[in-house]
Amino acid sequence: MGDTIRTEQLTKDFGSVVALDRLDVAIGEGVTGLVGANGAGKSTLIKILLGLLAPTSGGATVLGHDIATEGAAIRGLVGYMPEHDCLPSDVSASDFVVHLAQMSGLPRHAARERTADVLRHVGLGEERYRPMGGYSTGMKQRAKLAQALVHDPRLVLLDEPTNGLDPAAREEMLHLIQRIGADFGIAALVTSHLLGELERVSDHVVVLDGGRLLRASATTDFLHTTGTLLVEVIGDHGAQDLMGNALAAAGLPCRPRGHVIAVEATASSAEQDVHDLIRDTACALGVGLVRIQVDHRRIEDVFREGEEHVIHA
Amino acid sequence: MSSTPDPPRAQSRTGVIHDLGYRPYAGPRQAEPLIARALFVTGLRNAFGLGRSGKSKILPFILLGLNLVPALILVTVMVTLRLKELPTDYAAYAGTTQMLVSVFAAAQAPILFSHDLRYGSIVLYLARPMHAATYAVTRWASLVAALLVFLLTPVLVLYVGALLAGTDVTDQSRDAGIAALLATLLAGMLAAVAGLISSWSTRRGFAVVATIAVLLFGYGVIAAIQGIAHSQDQLWVGEYAGLLSPYSLYRGLAESLADVSAGSITPPTGAAMEAGYLVVALALVVGGAGALVLRYRRVAGR
Repeated sequence: MGDTIRTEQLTKDFGSVVALDRLDVAIGEGVTGLVGANGAGKSTLIKILLGLLAPTSGGATVLGHDIATEGAAIRGLVGYMPEHDCLPSDVSASDFVVHLAQMSGLPRHAARERTADVLRHVGLGEERYRPMGGYSTGMKQRAKLAQALVHDPRLVLLDEPTNGLDPAAREEMLHLIQRIGADFGIAALVTSHLLGELERVSDHVVVLDGGRLLRASATTDFLHTTGTLLVEVIGDHGAQDLMGNALAAAGLPCRPRGHVIAVEATASSAEQDVHDLIRDTACALGVGLVRIQVDHRRIEDVFREGEEHVIHA
Repeated sequence: MSSTPDPPRAQSRTGVIHDLGYRPYAGPRQAEPLIARALFVTGLRNAFGLGRSGKSKILPFILLGLNLVPALILVTVMVTLRLKELPTDYAAYAGTTQMLVSVFAAAQAPILFSHDLRYGSIVLYLARPMHAATYAVTRWASLVAALLVFLLTPVLVLYVGALLAGTDVTDQSRDAGIAALLATLLAGMLAAVAGLISSWSTRRGFAVVATIAVLLFGYGVIAAIQGIAHSQDQLWVGEYAGLLSPYSLYRGLAESLADVSAGSITPPTGAAMEAGYLVVALALVVGGAGALVLRYRRVAGR
């Protein structure tokens, strides 16, 4: 897989503050979550990739272009949604996005067409013709996303796109981001300090901590490493205890968690064997098996473990 | 790092009613010169409030209208009284209405230079292919063009009026042409001064006041010095002082190079001083544009 972004020993220090510390990371297609606490170096990394900041040392390539020498080419292929306010209050979203499409090199008629398309995709309706000063935070974020997409970039860098949004608007923004990666075919690097929200939309997760790479892997790796299965049964009174004891007797460590049984499926045993064993045990006991479900862990659990790991290392 | 409760995973059905799917763009992508041209045109339109809210059209067009009133009166008088020459010189007009010109420059420069800094939209330009230097020069060019529209519309009215009154086409064309050249130089200087002030102040009110102070108050001081120098018969003091303000440079050049009565009481005398006026005026244009480039390069590097 060709890397969309690759950094090599990328370092940026602002005097005494080291924002990025010899960062080596490779980011591919699809949606990649860039996770880290505030000040972990997320925004700095994005600005360096865009050529807005010069690295102190090290280098990086974006879509095969060197950030040191081919900044303009990179900026033509990349869309950027900044974290902070960047919308003039006295211009309509429609006019502004058309203008920025032209600033990305689209001829005027194409800029108009693309703007209409993109504003529809991000869900800005009639309000697109009103000055943006009167927009809600959700509408502003949509307008910011629209300008990042309007020139059909190959990669978008979205800096805290869900910042300041209420839960419903955040859901819609996350859904949009998922579509950018899956339906639009545009690679996306999405930063967030809210770890939980990225796990459903990103294919990969890169975790930064204090300017260093803490972990980079597929989101599924983060979520599946629990190896825990949740089993729910129904039957006569005490069916759950009965099932639990039987599973323990069959060699599966388990413990009750609410109205389900958490079964530790050990890494050595094949998933199918464990599923069969649970089914057979339920049959033997005569209890009804309601569901067997993979226990999805949250990214932040892994992150927390990683932090501890680093601290103890 | 607290987490929010896991929201329901049910498929959101909002916003997909008219979803026709994403269409990639395969058309042409223009190079920097054409991008700059688009920015130039938008900037020129924005300077007159076009493409912005209705409210922002009021001031520039009122100023433009006021700026035309003397020209229209002059033409009316000329045609009615059947005068054989214009009661004023083309190049003197900008001096007569320099108050309006200054207010226009002061009020509209922040739209081109402060807005993007104040609203943070500058970062959206910097994240695009155009270089910061191109952005700065293009913004300056937009303001120069807007000022030229402002300065040359009355000249055009006078020119047409003079021709209607039956004056000599060659004479009028030559005088109007000289006025256009001088106006270009003045527009370049004013755009450099107003642009620099606006690019340093993200507060529009401050930029407006500071620009008016520098242009009008600055000229007032120079004119006072020139008046005193004239009355004390120390013309050279006035000539040197004239180097310090765009308007006194303009008047001096109009008097000496174009032989137009533009209201300078101590115009530059001698080839060296005349050349000095021209060099300082050009240096102000080039230096101002250069300083704008440096300013936006710094913004880009932040």
